[in-house]
Amino acid sequence: MANLNIRSRQERTYQAIVVGSGISGAWAAKELCDLGVKTLMIERGRNVEHIKDYPTTNLLPYEFEHRGQIPQKIQEENPVISRCYAFREDAMHFFVKDTEHPYVQEKPFDWIRGYQVGGKSLLWARQVQRWSDFDFEGPARDGFAVDWPIRYKDIEKWYSHVEKFAGVSGNKDGLAHLPDGEFLPGYELNVVEKYFAEQLKKHYGNDRHMISSRCAHIHGNAEFYAQQGRALCQNRNLCQRGCPFGGYFSSNSSTIPWALKTGNLTIRPDAVVQSVIYDEEKGKATGVRIIDRLTKETEEFYADVIFINAAALNTNALLLNSTSNRFPNGLGNDSGLLGKYVAFHNYRARVSGEYEGHSEYTTSGGRPTSGYFPRFRNVYKQETDFLRGYAAGFSAGRGVGPDTSGIGMDLKNSLLNPDKYGPWRVGSHMMGETIPKETNYVALDPNLKDEWGMPQLKISVDYDDNDEKMVKDYIEQMTEMFTKAGFTNIQSNDSKQAPGLDIHEMGGVRMGKDPKTSLLNANHQLHAVPNVYVTDGASMTSTSTQNPSLTYMAFAARAAHHAVAESKK
Amino acid sequence: MNRRHALRHIALISGGLALIPSCDFSKEDILAAYENLKVTASQKALLGAISDTIIPAGEIKGALNLEVPDFILVMVNDCFTKENQDKFTAGLTAFPDYVQKTAGKKFEALSTKEKEELILNGTKLEGDDTPEGKERGNLSYFLNSTKRFTIQGYMASEYIQTEIIPYSLIPGEYNGAVLISDLQKPRING
Repeated sequence: MANLNIRSRQERTYQAIVVGSGISGAWAAKELCDLGVKTLMIERGRNVEHIKDYPTTNLLPYEFEHRGQIPQKIQEENPVISRCYAFREDAMHFFVKDTEHPYVQEKPFDWIRGYQVGGKSLLWARQVQRWSDFDFEGPARDGFAVDWPIRYKDIEKWYSHVEKFAGVSGNKDGLAHLPDGEFLPGYELNVVEKYFAEQLKKHYGNDRHMISSRCAHIHGNAEFYAQQGRALCQNRNLCQRGCPFGGYFSSNSSTIPWALKTGNLTIRPDAVVQSVIYDEEKGKATGVRIIDRLTKETEEFYADVIFINAAALNTNALLLNSTSNRFPNGLGNDSGLLGKYVAFHNYRARVSGEYEGHSEYTTSGGRPTSGYFPRFRNVYKQETDFLRGYAAGFSAGRGVGPDTSGIGMDLKNSLLNPDKYGPWRVGSHMMGETIPKETNYVALDPNLKDEWGMPQLKISVDYDDNDEKMVKDYIEQMTEMFTKAGFTNIQSNDSKQAPGLDIHEMGGVRMGKDPKTSLLNANHQLHAVPNVYVTDGASMTSTSTQNPSLTYMAFAARAAHHAVAESKK
Repeated sequence: MNRRHALRHIALISGGLALIPSCDFSKEDILAAYENLKVTASQKALLGAISDTIIPAGEIKGALNLEVPDFILVMVNDCFTKENQDKFTAGLTAFPDYVQKTAGKKFEALSTKEKEELILNGTKLEGDDTPEGKERGNLSYFLNSTKRFTIQGYMASEYIQTEIIPYSLIPGEYNGAVLISDLQKPRING
């Protein structure tokens, strides 16, 4: 392979390198740049610039050749990505196709990836709930995984820090297990969602709540966000195309342009990081080796501190591939646990129903969020035959549709004057905590390689008995709550979807107090290589139930400040 | 409404480059659909006549004015499995004989009312495993698919979404409790 190290070493040396430009990597880069650190952010995919590279953002429905549908041939060639809810004609260019980046499914695992500058931050569902100590204390209390080395007090101010900058809308709900944050005005629940929240109060006292889900959308304080070049969310609900207003938070709309403005950020797209370079004499990492995605040539970059934010499973893959005499089994892998204790969120079950009440009402306009049902199982003490619990999404809506049974002028007039209001439809989906286990792991395939000569990742992750019990309980409990609220035609469904489709894969490089049983310390440094930080999903010791991105952002910001403080010692 | 239009305008300006739409289909895709599905000129005319029966022209344009048959064929060609494509084309091929048998005339020779009845009845045909049953199954599959794509292609057309029921990229702030009785909708006469 050609070696491109023709530029002087000095030209290829920065103070910090961040691998990955998704939600956590770009946060690390933004904080480092704000603190005056010359930072190189490396991204394996192509560059995507805010607005300029959102080709579908203002297209009207009739401008999509198949009106949104993915052609059959693409679906047949790419079965995994075709199962993702957001893989549609308007956003398919932001998703990795199965055929482009193969991996090995030792057990079925739908690995959903976005290889471009901004990563999946362009595509995420933008739901941002804080963790509390009921989450951080979970493993220690319930005896699984290892104890988190941090608690809510360690991360609280960093949640505030990232919420203020990203823009988070929500209400002060006063729930101990879902702490309030720095909120812009929250979005309104509709009349039936409010009704359901009241019914929960009536039937379950103060145990079960349904709130407006906190979301990373700008819903107030427009002047502040104008400094980032972002504007108020326009309720378009076309977020996955990239937002020309910057109404929701993404790396592309927010942290990256901000970091670029400092003059301290260099972005190197189209660079697959092959390994982290470890210097045995110095006893630390000195840089990374990349393979140019297009030319396949290799090049090295150097820095004092390295952040690995390649997205959970790719962070595992990179560390596993970074071998040396000192670390023959992967960088920092003295414990032998690198790649193990991978977990995810259990999204298998849904419950839906109808409500005949409030029939005089409907809704108008749009909103970027819906209802959120915080965990109520096993919060204060163990009370079921399974560990932990689940959160749930909840929404009610009412459509007006035409009668399409006829033909000719009758059909035409009906289509142009839709006036058939059905009942309100209510729906909920579970977001269950899964228990990290040594047997749920990722590893490098010893034989198969990708186009860049990188070993393919082998994924072996499955549900367990705890997950099955939780699915059953969710369906029972949600059905009971729907019944008590007077909903009818209640249906439940267990999709049995493979892990991964939740797009909340976590762990493998977990945090912990003891280097024998964890990879990262309380500051997100590899125990054995402290100038390497991991602050993405790979670092998660347990999963809890909240959508995890907000926590990665807070981790990244906190770790970046720690790295800078260390460098000044 | 003015405010929303103004906002859309801003979106369009800020999203500048995204503005030139490759609207609807390229000629190549349409030709590919005709070629791959082996659609003859008379079948194309028939499909036009059927879609025009499903949504006829009046004060407001109908399906045929909007070239909905092209949309139907591109969708069948690009978004159907091979198996369903075969059912669709078998139904299209069998349709003229079916018309002759049930109505004793060619489709073009029927009155509007007869055409409508024939199509509606055709969508309700039930198939089984006998050769005749398979043909009935193909016919109803063809007619139901054609009706579904006619509705989709018509309603999601540039004409309807700009001139008749303008689509808004900016739907406005959410109101979670709107009294239906307060809504005033203009009556659009087809």
